[in-house]
Amino acid sequence: MSLLERFASQRALRVALEANRRVPPIATPMDAVHSATSATIDGRRVLLAGTNNYLGLTYDDECRAAAMAAIEALGTGTTGSRMASGNYAGHRELERALAAAFGWPAGIVFSTGYQANLGALSALASDGDFVLVDADSHASIHDGCRLSNATTIRFRHNDPENLDRRLTRLGEGARRTLIVVESLYSTLGDRAPLVEIAEIKRRHGAWLLVDEAHSFGVFGPRGLGLCEALGVLDEVDFIVGTFSKSLGGVGGFCVSRHAEVEQLRYVSRPYIFTASPPPPVIAATHQALRRVLQGHELRARLWQHAERLYREAARLGYRLGSSAPAPVASLVFDDRDRALALWQGLLDAGVYTNLMIPPATPAGLSLVRISLSAAHSVADLDLIIAALAAQAHESVLESTTAVDAGTF
Amino acid sequence: MNEATAGAIETAIREALRSLRPGAAGLDGDVDLAQEAGLDSAEVMDLVMEIEDRLDVSIPVETIAEARSINELCAGIARLKHDLS
Repeated sequence: MSLLERFASQRALRVALEANRRVPPIATPMDAVHSATSATIDGRRVLLAGTNNYLGLTYDDECRAAAMAAIEALGTGTTGSRMASGNYAGHRELERALAAAFGWPAGIVFSTGYQANLGALSALASDGDFVLVDADSHASIHDGCRLSNATTIRFRHNDPENLDRRLTRLGEGARRTLIVVESLYSTLGDRAPLVEIAEIKRRHGAWLLVDEAHSFGVFGPRGLGLCEALGVLDEVDFIVGTFSKSLGGVGGFCVSRHAEVEQLRYVSRPYIFTASPPPPVIAATHQALRRVLQGHELRARLWQHAERLYREAARLGYRLGSSAPAPVASLVFDDRDRALALWQGLLDAGVYTNLMIPPATPAGLSLVRISLSAAHSVADLDLIIAALAAQAHESVLESTTAVDAGTF
Repeated sequence: MNEATAGAIETAIREALRSLRPGAAGLDGDVDLAQEAGLDSAEVMDLVMEIEDRLDVSIPVETIAEARSINELCAGIARLKHDLS
C-alpha cells in the first residue's frame, strides 16, 4: 500500500457527505463571522448554534479592549516557548489567577486545550503507573495517555461500578493510578457521576483528574465547573480546562492542589516544545476569567436557554443524548442520512448546528448537536425551536422506531 | 500458554464478536479482525470492553493496539492473565 492510500476511505466519506450539497456539513466554511451568534455561510446570514461560545465572550467589549491593548503594548506573538523567551508577566499572572480561583497552589497555562491534556497527562503518569480513562473521553485525553508511557485501561463510559472493578483488579497498583474523566461530555451532553467517582477514588487511594473543558464557566456558583457545583473539589487532584470555550480564546490550563505540579514545566513536552500563547490571547482570557468568576447573569441566561431547548426538543419528540438539560443538546439518530437531513433543514432555516457522525461518536450514533450561548436572545431560541418544529415530522418518525429516548 | 486457558479466552473473544457482528464470530484466527469484521475504532473498543467483562480482566490499550487478529488478541490476554497470576 502506498503511503497515501489509507486516505481513500476518508475521501469516500467526505464525497458522500458533500454529494449534491452546496454547503459541506463537516468543516463548514464560514464566509464571515459577525458576532458570537451570527455568521455568513454560503452568502447567507445564519444564527450560530454550533459553537462552544457558551458565555458569548468572544465579542465582550472588555475582553476585546484587553486584547487590543496587549497587541499595542506587547505585539502579536511571543515567538518563544515559556522555557525560553515566551515567559511574559501576563502568562504568569493568568496562571496565578486560575490557581487562586480554585484556592490551589499550582496553575499552568498551555498553548491549546488539546495540549493541556497532552501536557498534563504525559507528565503526570509514567512507566509503572496506570491511567484509568473513561472510554468516551476526548481525543486529547487518549492521546495524552499514549504519550505518558503509563499502562492505560479504559472503563465503560460513566460507569462507576466498572471503574471500581478495574481499580480492585489493580490491587496495590490503585495507589499509582490516575483516574481521568470529563465532567460534561460534549458529544451527547451527558455529565459524569462525579460524586460516585470521587468516592471510589478515595476508597482506593487513587488520583483523580477531571477535564472541565465544556463545564468551566457554565456550572458552579463561581463558574469553576461541575466539580464545584457538586461539591467534590476536595477529592479532585487535578483539573484541566480550556480557554477556547466559555473563555472565548485559545489555550488551556491545568490547576492542582499539589504544589509539585509546578514541576510539570520541566518535564511536559507539549508545554516545553511549543511557543507560548500570544499576548492578546492571554490578556483577553484573563479578562474573560474575571467575567466568568462574576458571570452569574450570563450563566443564568445560558441555563434558561438550555432548559427551554431541552424541554421543547423533547416535546417535539426528538431523542436527546442526555437525561438532563445542558448547554449542548444532542439530537440522536441511528441513521446518518436522517441526521444529515435535519442538519441541512436547520441550516436552510438559518440555523447553523454541528453534524457528528461515527467513528467520532459513541455507539455508531449520528448526532445533530445544538450549542447554546448566553449571547443568544429569546428570539434566537424562538428561531431554533421553530426550525426544529418544522423538521420534527420527518426526523422524529425515524427516531421513534429506534431505541427509547433518554437511554444515556 | 495453558491450553484450557487459551481455549477459554478464544471462546470469550468469539462470543463477544458474535454479540457485535453475528457473522464475524467464525473468522479465521489470523486475519485482521477490524478489517475483516468491518469494525471501526470505536467498535473495536466496544468489543474489548465486552471481552473484559466476560473474562474479568482489564486489557490495557497498548495490548489492544498490538493485536490485529483473534490469535494475537488471545495471546496478549493470556500474557496479561499470566502476569497477574
